[in-house]
Parts: sequence; C-alpha cells; structure tokens
Amino acid sequence: MSLTSSSLSIKSKPVQFALLLVVFLILCYAIAPADGNYLWRLPALLKDIPTWVNDFVGGLMFDWFPIQVYDPDIDDYESKPLFREITRAVSSGVLFIIDFVRELLLGGQKTIVAFTSWDFISENPWAEWPALPWTVITGWAAIVGYKLQGKRLALIAALATTYVAIFGQWEPSMQTLSFILVAAPVSVLLGLLLGIWAYQNRYVEIALNPLLNVAQTMPHYSYLVPVIVLFGVGDHAAALATIIFATPPMVRLTLLGLKNVPVEVLEAGMMNGCTNRQLLLRVLIPTAKRDVLIGVNQVVMQCLAMTVIASFIGAQGLGSNLMIALNSLKIGTGIEIGVCIVLIAVVLDKMSLAWANKQTDYFADLSFLERHSTLIAMLAVFVAGSILAAIGSFIFEEGFNYLYVIPHNKGITTAPIWQAAVDWIWDTFFFVLKGFNEFLITKILVPMRDAYLAMPVVATFLLVMGIAYILDGLRSALIVGGFLLFIAFSEYWDRALITAYMASFAVIVSAALGITIGSLCARHEVASKSILLVCDFFQTFPAFIYLIPVIMLFGITDTSVIIAAVVYATVPATRYTVEGLRSVPPVLQDAGSMSGVTRLQRWVSIELPLAFPHIMLGVNQTVIFALFMVIIGAFIGTIDLGQMILKAISESRGTGIGLTLGLCVAFIGLAVDQIIRNWAQRRKAALGLA
Amino acid sequence: MSSAGGTSEGTQAVIRCESVYKIFGKNSEALLDGASSSIDAETAKAAGCIVGVNNASFEVHQGELLIIMGLSGSGKSTLLRCITRLTDATAGQIFIDGEDILTMNEKELIEVRRNKMGMVFQNFGLLPHKTVLENIAFPLQVKGNNTKASMERARDMAELVGLQGRENYFPRELSGGQQQRVGIARSLAVEPDIWFLDEPFSALDPLIRKEMQDEFLRLQSVLNKTILFVTHDFDEALRLADRIAIMKDGVIEQLDTPANIVLNPATEYVRKFTEEVPREKVLRIESIMEPVNQSETMADLTVSKDAVIETVAKAILDESKPVGVVDEAGTLVGSLHASHVVDVLFGNRAGS
Amino acid sequence: MKGMKKLAAAVAVGAIAGLSGTVFAADSSEPIKIPIKNWSSQIVMAHVIGGIFESMGDKVEYVPVDNQASFEAVRVGDITIVHEVWQSTMQNAYYNAMEKGGLIDAGTHAAETLEEMGVPNWVIEKGLCPGLPKWEALKDCAEAFATPDSGGKGRWLEGPQSWHGDVMPNRVKGLGLDDKWVVKFAGAADALWAELQAAEKEGRGTIIFNWSPNFTDASGFTFIEFPPYFDGCRIADGGSWETTGCGSPKGWLKKGAFWKFPKTHPNAYRAFSQLTFTTPQIGSMAALVDVDKMTHADAAKKWLADNEEIWKPWTVSVLGEGN
Repeated sequence: MSLTSSSLSIKSKPVQFALLLVVFLILCYAIAPADGNYLWRLPALLKDIPTWVNDFVGGLMFDWFPIQVYDPDIDDYESKPLFREITRAVSSGVLFIIDFVRELLLGGQKTIVAFTSWDFISENPWAEWPALPWTVITGWAAIVGYKLQGKRLALIAALATTYVAIFGQWEPSMQTLSFILVAAPVSVLLGLLLGIWAYQNRYVEIALNPLLNVAQTMPHYSYLVPVIVLFGVGDHAAALATIIFATPPMVRLTLLGLKNVPVEVLEAGMMNGCTNRQLLLRVLIPTAKRDVLIGVNQVVMQCLAMTVIASFIGAQGLGSNLMIALNSLKIGTGIEIGVCIVLIAVVLDKMSLAWANKQTDYFADLSFLERHSTLIAMLAVFVAGSILAAIGSFIFEEGFNYLYVIPHNKGITTAPIWQAAVDWIWDTFFFVLKGFNEFLITKILVPMRDAYLAMPVVATFLLVMGIAYILDGLRSALIVGGFLLFIAFSEYWDRALITAYMASFAVIVSAALGITIGSLCARHEVASKSILLVCDFFQTFPAFIYLIPVIMLFGITDTSVIIAAVVYATVPATRYTVEGLRSVPPVLQDAGSMSGVTRLQRWVSIELPLAFPHIMLGVNQTVIFALFMVIIGAFIGTIDLGQMILKAISESRGTGIGLTLGLCVAFIGLAVDQIIRNWAQRRKAALGLA
Repeated sequence: MSSAGGTSEGTQAVIRCESVYKIFGKNSEALLDGASSSIDAETAKAAGCIVGVNNASFEVHQGELLIIMGLSGSGKSTLLRCITRLTDATAGQIFIDGEDILTMNEKELIEVRRNKMGMVFQNFGLLPHKTVLENIAFPLQVKGNNTKASMERARDMAELVGLQGRENYFPRELSGGQQQRVGIARSLAVEPDIWFLDEPFSALDPLIRKEMQDEFLRLQSVLNKTILFVTHDFDEALRLADRIAIMKDGVIEQLDTPANIVLNPATEYVRKFTEEVPREKVLRIESIMEPVNQSETMADLTVSKDAVIETVAKAILDESKPVGVVDEAGTLVGSLHASHVVDVLFGNRAGS
Repeated sequence: MKGMKKLAAAVAVGAIAGLSGTVFAADSSEPIKIPIKNWSSQIVMAHVIGGIFESMGDKVEYVPVDNQASFEAVRVGDITIVHEVWQSTMQNAYYNAMEKGGLIDAGTHAAETLEEMGVPNWVIEKGLCPGLPKWEALKDCAEAFATPDSGGKGRWLEGPQSWHGDVMPNRVKGLGLDDKWVVKFAGAADALWAELQAAEKEGRGTIIFNWSPNFTDASGFTFIEFPPYFDGCRIADGGSWETTGCGSPKGWLKKGAFWKFPKTHPNAYRAFSQLTFTTPQIGSMAALVDVDKMTHADAAKKWLADNEEIWKPWTVSVLGEGN
C-alpha cells in the first residue's frame, strides 16, 4: 500500500521525529556529565563579552574625546567626554518636552525655568504655570472621544478620567500620561522614519530586521542599566527605554503597510507626475494609513506596558506608586493603581483605534466647521472647569481644592474592597491549592528541571536543530544552532536551561489553555468579543500586582513564576485561536455542515487544521510572552537568567552583563520564532490562506 | 519578424520605439551585447534571464489608437511600462514627440508625465483615502495648481465620465465600473496628449465591460487622443483598435489593422486567435468588396465601405443582384455579391 | 582591606568638600534631587530631608528610582543625595559607585541597623522551633520550615542574591546546618512580605531575611541570635568555614551625595552631612505611614512639625556660621 510505505519512509515527518528522539536519548545516556567534557558543556569562550561591552560603553561614556568645560557651579573646568555630552543633550531635550507636557496638565515651573533660570523663579514666586483642573481634562477627554467615535467612547473616556480623579490617582496618572504623550509620538515618528527608510532601501531593511527581532525579544530590564549609563535616571531615561521597546512594532507595521500599497497606486502616483516627496507623503503613507495607525495603537500599548518597569529608572507616576504600594504589601492600593493603568490603556487604545478607522468623515467642506465646533466645545469646558475650580477654592478653604487637582491619595479608595477580595480568594482556595502545588512541584516541576539540566549540550543542540531541520530545513537549523551556540559559549548555559524549563512548561499550559478557551469562545460573537476584552485587560494590567497574590497562594516557588507566566502568556494563544478560527471561510464551514459532521468533528477536521498555522503564530507569541514573564519571575525568586539580570543592576559590570543576558533570552525566543514563524508561513501558503 | 505594419504615413509619430528590449536578470547586459535582433528564448534561459520585451520597434501616430494584445506574460504591460518609464528599458530608444524618454532626467520625466501623459490602470490605482473629486484633482494638485481651479476641473471631468452626484464618495464605496470611470477621469484631468490604458476593463464584469468600451469610444470620438491600449482580450482589440500589435514572449508577432490581422494572420500564433473571431463583426465591407463589374446590373441598395459586415449582411443577402459599395462622398468604389458574403462568413479563407 | 581604603578615601573627599563649604556662599537655586525608593522609611525620610532643605530656602525635587540604580544615578548627578544606605544590602553598590567616582560619603546616621534572618513572633509563640531566638534551636526544627521544593529540608528565605551574594548559603554551611536547611533567594522585598503573610495565614513556620526598623516591626518580629560578627569572619572577607557562620554586624546607615553638592548647595550640604537619625526616629517616621496609614508626604510634615527641636539645630548652626 502506498499509504503505509509513505508513512514508514524516512521522508515522513513522524519517522524523522522518532529517529531524532532516539538519537537524542542515546546521546543523553552516553555522554558523561563531567566538567572537562565539551560534549557535556561547552567552554565559556564568550565569558568576557560582558567585560568588553562594559569597557567599550564605559570608555565611550567617560573617557573618549574629553572636552574641557567650565562649570560655574564649582568655578572650575571639568573634563566632559564628547559622547556623554551628546547623550546628555538628548536627555535634556526629552526631559524638557516631558516636563512641558506634564506642566500643561499639572502645572509647574520647569518650563518657565527652561527659558529663564531657577534664580528667576526664586525672585519671582508668582512664576508658576497653573494646572488644568481635572474637570477640564475629563471634559476634553470626552469631547475627543466623541469627535473620534461617538457617545460610547465619550462616555468611556469621561468615566475613566473621573475614576482616576476621584480615587486619588490623578497626579500620578497625569504624570504617567504626560510621559506616554511624549514617548508614544516619538516612537511613532521614529518608527515611521525607520520604516520608510527600510522600504526605500533594501539594505536598511536587511540590517534593521535582526535589530528589531532582538529589541522585541529582549527582556526590557536587561537594558535598563545601559540606559542609565547612557542617559541617566529620570523621566527622560525612562522615556528613552520605553521608546526602544515601543518603536519596533511601529517600524514593522510601517514597512508592512508600505509594502502592501498596491503597485498600481504607486504607479498611478508616478504617472500623475509626483516627485519622490509627493509620492511618499501624498500617495504611499496615506494609502498605508491603516497599518500605520495599527502601529500607533501598538506603540501606545507597549508604552503602557512599560510604565512599571520605567519607574525603576525614574519615571514618575503610577508605576512608582505601584511599586511602593506593593512593597508594603498594600495589594488593594496596588490593584487600584493597576486599574488606573488599564483604564488609561483602554481609553488611549480605543481612541487610537477610532482614529485608525476614522476615514468616513473626510469631507473637505465639513471638516473645518467641525473642527471649529470641537474647539468651541473644548474652550467652553475649559472656562467652565476654571470657574468651578475658582469656586472650589472658596468652598474648600481648608486643605484641598477638590475641583482643581485632587492630590495623591486624597480621593476615595476602593483598596479595602480589593484587599478583601484577595483575602477571600486566599481563604477559600489556599488549602485546595496547597496539595496541588506540592504535587506539581515534587512530581512534575522538579523532575522536569532536573531533566533539562541533565541534557548534554550536544544532545540539546541535536534536538533543537533537528526539529528546526525537519520542520523548516537546513537554513533554519543553522540559524537556530547559531543562536544556541552564543548561549552555550557564554557562562549562562545552565541558567538558560532553567529559564527554558520554566518557559516551556508555561508555554505548554498556556497553549493548551488558550487554544481550548479560544475554541470554545470563537463560536459565539459575544463570547469572542468578551474574551478578547479579557485578553486586553491581562495584557495591560501590570503583572507585578498579581505576582503578590500568586506568591501568597503558591509560595516563593517555581509554581508561582509559572502561574504568573501562564496568566500572561495565555493571552496571545487565546487571541490568535479566536482570530484563526473566526477567519476560517464560512464556505468551508457550510461544506462541513452539509457533509453532516458533528460540532466536534467539524472543529477537529475542518476548523482546526485551517486555523492551525495562525494559532501557531499565537503560540509563537506565547513563547515570547512566557519568556518575558519568566524573566520578570526573578522578582518572585528564581535562579535563572532573570535573576542574573536583576542582579546585574547592582554590579559594576552591569551594562555588559545585562546586555549579554538579555541577548541570551532574546536568542532563546528568536530560535523558537525562527522555527515556528517560517513553518506557519509555509503552511498558510500551502493552505492558500497567506 | 514582422514588427512593422504599413499604415498612415505623413504625420509625425507621437510615440516611436526602436529596438526596445526589457530583460530581467543579472546578465542582461551580456545577453544584449551578443544580440543584433531578437534574442531567442533558449539563449535567454541559458543566461538566466527572462526577456520581457524583445526588440520592439513601432510607431504610434497622432490621434491613432494602437492596441497591444497578448496573453499574460507576453510582455505587453512591460512594453507599456517601458514607454511610460515606469520601468527602464534595458536597451533601445523610445521617443515621445521626438524626445528620447530614456535619456530624460528625473525632473524632465516628471514634466512629461505631468503634462503629456495620462494613464489608466487595470485595478484602477485609486488613492483609497481620497474622494472621487480629490482623486480626479490629484494630478492637478501635484502640479501645484490652485485647489479651487483643480476642483472645478475635477468636477467637469467627473461629469464627463458620468459620475456627477458621486463626487464625495470614497473609492471603496463605488462599483468597479464607477471606480474605473474615476481612473479615466483622473488620467484625463491634465488634458494629456497621450493616453495609456493598461487593461482598463479587464477587472470588470462582461456587461460593464461592454458599457465601458462604448463609453471609451464615445470619449475618444470627442477627445481624439493618441492612445496606447493594452489588453488580453482579442475581441476588445478588434472592436476598438485602429491598429493591433500582437505580442508573444516579448516579441511583436504582427502589427496591423484588425481586418488585415483577421484576413492575413502573419504567424501560426496569430492565426489561432483569428480562428474563433466572428468575421462579420470585425470586417468592414471595404475589405471584402470586389471591383465593380460594369456588365452586371446593380441592386438599388448601396452600402458604405466602412460598414461592418454584420450590420448590413442581411440586406445584402436579401438582394439577388450585386450591391454597390460607396465611399463617404457617395462614389461607387466596389460591389458585393450575396454569395461572396456567404463565402467570407462561412466558407474558405476569403478576401485575398 | 579594600573596603576600608575606599571608605577612608571617601571620608577624606567628604571632609575636603565640607571644608570648602565653610567658605561663604549661597545655595544655588536649582532643585536638590532626592530619590524616592520603594520602602516607607526611605520615602518619609526623603520628604523629611526635603522639608528641612525647603525650610532653608532650597528647592527640592523627588525622583523615583530603583534602589540599586540610585547609586549609578547619584554618581553622575541625576540625583543629588542618597540618604538611607543600609550596610548589608547596599554597601556593594555604594562602594562600586564611589570607586567609579562621583559619589562622596556624607556621613553616617546614628541609627544602627539590624538586618538578619528571623521569624515572626507567632512562630515562637506557637512553639514551632523551641529554643529560638538562639540559632542552635535551628538544628532540631527544620521539618517545620520545609516547603515542597526544599527537598525535605527547612527553607531559609533570603532576599535577592544581589543583596549579599553567597553570605547566607555560606553561613548555613559554616554552622553545619546544610544537611537540614537550604537557602532560597526571594526576588524582591515584597516577595518576603507576601511569604510572611501567607505563612501566618497557614500557620506554618517561616524564616526570612528582614531588617529593623521596618513596617513588619508592628506585628512582631524576632531576629535569630547567631554567633557574633567580627571583621573578616565571612568567607568573602577572608574568613574560614569555621567562622563564616557569624551573624550580621550591627550595620551602619550611611548618607552619600553627588560630588558637586557641597559646591552648589554648601548650606544644604552642611545640614545634610550633620543630619542624623536614630533608629526610633526612623521607626516613628515609618510607623506614621505603615501604622497610621498617612501618605508619605503628610507623614513627613507631621514628623517635622512634631520634632522641630531635633532638626532645627542642623539648619540653624549652618545659617549661624554663614551669617
């Protein structure tokens, strides 16, 4: 039978996988775990990389091209290295803009200082820019929401800002907002420019691609130390770290959008006699608008995801308040702040998406009038709010003017309710979960970790490269091998194995969960939408908050780390499953129904195979998300790469160590990405879905 | 190969191509060095190249409608793109009003495109973020014309193509036929001398296509542009063209009037196209009439030499006597027997 | 010892800077940047010090920053001072920054800090480990402190590895407890507190790294009494396995400043270098937040108002000398 012969042939994938497994196991048993045995562990040939990086950055920042600069403060000349002066100039530029935006919202003196001096402020105590009353900003948010989409968005915007105000998070929220209002546009602009450049020049695209890959897979706090060294500490440094994190998706989506512009539209532009500039500004970018604006949306989300991490290096606002609350175990307050972050995310997300989809009312005749009416409305709100604030200053003679700026922690608080909820969860579930936790740790996690650590390096290479080869060919196998080689030659191989063990366990659970939940929800319109909302929530809700209850339930164990990772990493698996299943052409669904399949049969034999490549892209994302969270798990207590990164912050070689470790994590992610992405793309093409 | 067809001389060629080549691949230069005329497929393949346009030479005259016909991959669109310099030809010379377009710099090229050329695309190539009016006005605004004048001109053009009332629609709100009307209006907005149409009606469904062809003929009768029209539809070519260039594998197999192509296919490839063609719909009386035989008694009926056979066949067949053929001035220039018409329509290869 | 040399050098620099401060000069009008870290006493003290500076006419600005990152920041002047440097957890970062240059020693608080392994009081009350707080008691009660991943041994929950490196594993080994106990590193302080709370609810034994003054003092916490510390007892300081079981020293609590601070704000610097808090004072600052649930800024205001007699002299003496 041709069927049997083909399934037994060496060309069939199951047979290849089986062979691979056999050889892998033989290697595992055959190779002795000895220190000098290079088949067991490769020598740390690259262990000096952190030092090199460090010396290089240090030299550049503190020694290279010193200039003598007179400092009036100390009445002496000081030697300032050129590169440091440049990065400092960038820093102060960014800081100025952030302060400016912040003071528009909250008032202050720094903008005035930037044009005068601190002495001027000392001599002129009146010189302070007033804050915008919270009522005004709330009104404006509603108007912008209304203008962009309608009543619904206006209501959401108004409710969100009101929540933030009355729960006493107004100041930190506005600080966070001002920070995002700077970081996001800069990321967008930078991403747009890089995307256009890559579109125009193939070599730029080729050069940019690996950089983007690394930037998107490197855990953010591995480059916090270099950012501190280069740009210092403060809102500017935090903004720059955020920009590094938020720009890559913008570049990718810009490039994608430009590439998707139909050739004919481009040719039409050329035939209409556009110059290159006109072609770019009036034909290409407007035509790519949708993708570009999805990029904008991504940027906003990424910026918000960075708020907590950014507070490590000086971002003022919700992030730092959150860390303070969590550090004295005020989970209720923490949740309240977390909700603020989610609300800001939701409003900005909806506004940017509404902006992206807003094409219909592009009527040249109307727009002027409309803009006019919006302006008038905003002006009216401003006047009304100011008057209210003025009245408020009479009502609240003592203490705080609640109609102007509600001071931090002076609002009502829901913290006790949240706290009670957390306590309830603890009381209800703890003992049930305790047994489960013990079983999981002793019977699964510890043996699994030991098994990972017992793999000879040669066997690991064979397994991973073999999988890449079978699924995607020699090229992929070599690329993946290259990634692994870097880690194997660093001194962090064992740490990386522990990271890999936790991440892979989390991925298996997340993928199973996500695909199940996604499949169940994808059938119903309402369920799909709701589950996507839940996904949005968990993607923006700061993970640090649920780390604490998780620790309380599961202790400082790998279980906690894995659960935190699962909560976060299930999001993309679910999202992509819903999307994948819902995009199965209805014709095929109908065809299935007409052949009399049951629901389960239809799912197994029609929907799942067709949606599978897309779901695998979700799993790919799940891997990256899980890695990120396992690294964040260092804050719970791990002994993997993440812990080393955390430790690097206080070390003198921190810059180099942080970056090297970050690369190790990025390379694990990229190795998986290489295999899955290419495979999924070819599979999609084969199914005619590409 | 026959790449020239004898036609109306005298007027200056608006478009003139001389030995134009477009070769894709790294070794194109080397491949060309060895070639004096057309490159044969084997050589090209050996050199790892694909020949898009192979030694094309022809002229298009003032007010003429030349159609380039070929199946997909024949190089017809590539040839059009070479002439508009959307791609650069590998070798040869292309003159627009006597100026070599291949040697123009960026600025000159933009000038030519802004003022002399208009182009219609198969998939319309409309700007999705602009309304009908803005799309039509786009080439004018690109030139830097003031907005009010551009919009007025655009409104006129919209009216010309029958889009009045839909000026503020977005392309995605229009049907395919309407979108192509926008494309046509846009290409004509700057009043170009030369009009390029790249499969303008191929993306439309058959009924709309017929309607648009009529519209096109109507416009051409008003505007009288010099036109280079690309299509894969032989019927369309026969219906619209003054002359047709049939391309295969980058080579122009035959360039002639529709009637001559149908009656005298130059190659086997061309003949295959003509086989299925209903002659009565293509041929005009002139191409099948016989000299006047003075001894015969003529019927009372006379037909114009420019009439398409189909339109007069029934009348001729009803006559027992030969029918007189007259020119525009009414002078008798030939005669036609009913039996001859039957021969042409159903019988052997006739007419020559 | 290397550490001592660095210390001496830093003190010398500080002294010279202090001297130059006696030259009559007014403070710059630029704000003094005070770091806000993530524990209560530090934040309240930041606001207290800020209040003192403001009372002297200086401007201040509060910058949130990660504790470990703050030392790099103060070294390059992104923040002006660090005012609560705990010996056992921060001396590495502190001296690293000093060695790289830019950070100067600005004196030591009167407070002696205690950072040590310990247990919440109810662990003792419940009799989970009879004989505590003497360390010898640990020899016989490890089972009560076991966790699923400790392999049957009792678990010592130490802070992040960045705090003391291998001191605790070495101590366990040095005391001969390593067959019964294993050290686990928590990732952050809040993980320690979460463990504390979880253990209490569950009523199981827990032994964690902690310090005083801290908000945990309120609910009762007992430090374990280890063999006394002496210089060089630890392996990393040249000690042997016999001596490395020593406990934590009574630690100093230092202040540091950006090297230009004495020149730009001579008066503020003088006040800052004279300023010193005792353990009860720091404890009372933290308690206003942790126990009385005030905001950090309000707590600082209240503390300043209640304790003028303590802090006024630091400012007055400066002004007096200046005038």
